[in-house]
Amino acid sequence: MLVNKINSIYVCIVNLKTGILVTLTLLLGYKTQAQNCNLSIRGKIIHLENNEPIEAAYVWVLEAKEGAITDQNGNFTVKNLCSGTYTLTIQYLGHKEIKDTINLESSTFSKTYRMEEEALGLQSIEVHGHRDAVQTTTAVSALYGEDLLESRGENLGESLKRISGVSTFSTGNSISKPVIHGMHSNRIMIMNNGIRLEGQQWGAEHAPEIDPFLADEITVVKGAETVRYGPEAMGGVILVNPAPLPTKKISKTSLTLVGGLNGRMGNANLVHVGGSEKIKGLGYRIQGSAKRSGNVKSPDYFQVNTGVSELNLSSSVGYSSSKLGVEAYYSLFHTELGILSDSHTGNLSDLENIIENGRPFADGEFSYEIVNPKQRVTHQLAKLKSHYHISESWKLNFQYGFQLNHRQEFDKRRGNLNEKASLDLELYTNTIDLYVNHTHKNELSGTWGINFIQQANSNVPGTGVTPLIPNYDMLNTGLYAMEKYSKGPLEMEAGVRYDFSNVTTARYIDEELRAADLDYQNFSAFLGGLYHISPDLTFNSNIGSAWRPPNVNELFSEGLHHGAAAVEIGNPDLKSEKSFKWINELQYDGQKTHLEFTAYLNPINDYIYLNPTGEIYVSLRGTYNIYEYLQANALFYGFDFAGSYEFTDKLSAYLKGSIVQAKNTVEDNYFPFIPPNRMDWGISYDFAKDVDARTNKLTLSNVLVAQQKREPDFDIAPAPPAYALFNVAYSKQLNIGTNKLNLGLQVQNILNTNYKDYMNRFRYFTYDMGRNFLLKINYEF
Amino acid sequence: MNTKHKVYLIALAFASCTFSSCTSEDPVPENDGELITDVTLTFQEIDASGNSVGAPFDFTASDAEGIEIGSTPTVETVMLAKGKTYQMTIDVYNAVAGEDITEEIEAEGDEHQFYFLGSAFTSSPFLSYAYDDNGEELIGLKGIVTVQQSPGFNNANMQILLRHALDKNYPGADNPNFTNYAQAGGESDLDITFPVVVE
Repeated sequence: MLVNKINSIYVCIVNLKTGILVTLTLLLGYKTQAQNCNLSIRGKIIHLENNEPIEAAYVWVLEAKEGAITDQNGNFTVKNLCSGTYTLTIQYLGHKEIKDTINLESSTFSKTYRMEEEALGLQSIEVHGHRDAVQTTTAVSALYGEDLLESRGENLGESLKRISGVSTFSTGNSISKPVIHGMHSNRIMIMNNGIRLEGQQWGAEHAPEIDPFLADEITVVKGAETVRYGPEAMGGVILVNPAPLPTKKISKTSLTLVGGLNGRMGNANLVHVGGSEKIKGLGYRIQGSAKRSGNVKSPDYFQVNTGVSELNLSSSVGYSSSKLGVEAYYSLFHTELGILSDSHTGNLSDLENIIENGRPFADGEFSYEIVNPKQRVTHQLAKLKSHYHISESWKLNFQYGFQLNHRQEFDKRRGNLNEKASLDLELYTNTIDLYVNHTHKNELSGTWGINFIQQANSNVPGTGVTPLIPNYDMLNTGLYAMEKYSKGPLEMEAGVRYDFSNVTTARYIDEELRAADLDYQNFSAFLGGLYHISPDLTFNSNIGSAWRPPNVNELFSEGLHHGAAAVEIGNPDLKSEKSFKWINELQYDGQKTHLEFTAYLNPINDYIYLNPTGEIYVSLRGTYNIYEYLQANALFYGFDFAGSYEFTDKLSAYLKGSIVQAKNTVEDNYFPFIPPNRMDWGISYDFAKDVDARTNKLTLSNVLVAQQKREPDFDIAPAPPAYALFNVAYSKQLNIGTNKLNLGLQVQNILNTNYKDYMNRFRYFTYDMGRNFLLKINYEF
Repeated sequence: MNTKHKVYLIALAFASCTFSSCTSEDPVPENDGELITDVTLTFQEIDASGNSVGAPFDFTASDAEGIEIGSTPTVETVMLAKGKTYQMTIDVYNAVAGEDITEEIEAEGDEHQFYFLGSAFTSSPFLSYAYDDNGEELIGLKGIVTVQQSPGFNNANMQILLRHALDKNYPGADNPNFTNYAQAGGESDLDITFPVVVE
């Protein structure tokens, strides 16, 4: 690329929306002849390093003396041009200027330009502090900025409900797992800063072991992503990513305080980021959060023993130079949470009694005390990541992750046994990723890599309970390659992967050692495309195969489940689940209108599910339902919708909704715990004055959840009726000197409605949480 | 390619040696401490002044297997004589761990209570029960069972329920035949139905 700065005029534009100062260099030149003057130049501008679109890049057509600025998808159009030869200049702050001569003959002209980043003052190509964002042609939604701020104080599952197509599968108010298009637990994947989160996600009452405060952006990939992320990424992937580390001298601190009246919840988070002045490219971040809450209140009573105590830390330090980047990261998640007392049933008749009662027997009172039954979980993650630019177009990446997840579950027991956990699991996971990226100035880019996952699970002895799952060792090796081709408004992507997985297990049952050694392997592939129909309108489509080997609990579970008065029996002969997910998304980004429509079709072979056998197990303690793990072919399909419209500068509205259908195509019936139809809409009034860009907004919203009519043949209680909730939120941004203060006041469930959610397993025992007032303060200095 | 290979080897070495977590621990057999394998009802006939008459006799419900699908507990039939009064003591035992659970129940008397339900006490009552525990607390480890002189039936069911973590102050909870026991909260640690025959 030539960087000629002859006859240049410097123009400064302050982009009010992004606050980025864009320096534009405009070149002057000569004019050519023209005949047909109805033509246009279309194009797309992306980062050379990662193919991410560049917003607000400046395009200047020299001869026509006309310019354009790219939109958020990196697209631009220069209209009403006559045919002829033109010189295009493309500029974006911190990037090498692109100059191109084109011959415009027809109106279908379109081209993709890749901009190379240049370090200011240095002749290098390193992307300083750039984050490896997702590069995919699949439907992606993210939670960030104001929306993320509004969700602070909530757990990961609850926060992600803001994204259409995402709901939760919960156990009471403190445990919620995200559900993407009807899939959860081991069928979706959560990435903690690039490392696949390995905990005990197989359990319905096992919440993701992650603190949402460590993220400054949470991204949901809704397609099948086994090729990119490995087995289990069938239904989607959730990326919890911190902000990139600074590479120059900076010192920034952000304090967030959240207070909630219901449950008398207090939550504080502090993040500090700094960059070194002496060593260029060295930066660090340290973050800590603490949360404490007590018994939450349903409209008519307190839910006894529903407190939460959480303490989380994360820190990272990184260095990047023109060729090398190194980052070390550590995160700690520690939680102790109470399980609603009355949900711990002794036998089937206890369960039937409370279901018939519809709510806990006692009214309860407020307390912060957490007693048995409770869970105590500590998750630690350490990561080392490095990349090296072998050449301008080749980059070598290495990532190592270590995780230790310690889960203890305490039951209501007799005497000293109360002090002992009845489930005490230690799960060690080591992951190694080694891959190369290649990016060329032509239209091809890709990633090839190898991935290792090694896992060791041990039951800590001394629980006084035969372990629910055996001790096991798991090893998975994956080889993959992905290539992407971009030209003009079109992007095409394809990838393949091969995985081999081995599990060995051992456990004593009644003094008898039982061991197993199982192998699984799979090929997966995907093909995706994205097309910019017009600068405002984008269509993408992705079809991918995905798989997951059966989980150890599905193979070997054998034990009593007090929350469900059930005995769950695993099946060691289960095969791997194999799925195809075809997902299509149409996105429109107009001046006042934003629309997103997603439709998907997801057949799954050998879908594993827990089926009631209809038999009961009789003991001196009473009777229990017996459930077993079975496999059947399943068909999931559905739609998500999200749209917003600005009526005036002040008034805007939004609407989100999702429908998911899940059928057992062999038995021709429905699977349990599939989200019912759901809709969320609201109107916002913006008090901000014309010249004031700071937030000052009042939003009234309404969540509508239908009754789940697609019920399974067997459930211990029928699906609860439909409900409607009203919420109001006010947010205001203030400046204190050069510092920013964000204030938020929210009232959830304003009408204090008594409701039960189908996706909450505790709907058998209690109504959901009543009205709640929340105050959120965020100060950046 | 060479560099790549080296990095990979170093990485593997790093992963395997840094943390002692490459293989799971050897499994250890657990004694199920919560398990109840044997429940014994011992009857001692007493006279009007509370003195023992004759030798005591007992009936047992046992389930040696623990959680094993398909097996059902063995429950003996309780045989009692018409018009007699007995002192009934309940012994609860865990044969797997060799533990006497009776003591634990007694020690945690404030959170445990036996209820006596079933047709023998409720729909066609020919038995009556009164708590007679050693301490203040109503537990039901010891009680007085009276058989009617001329009952309408000679056989019925006696359901023995051990409730744990209940609200003992709940109105009616002091009644040994409290059918609304669920309202007092808590959960069942034992739920056994003995057939009863009176002669």
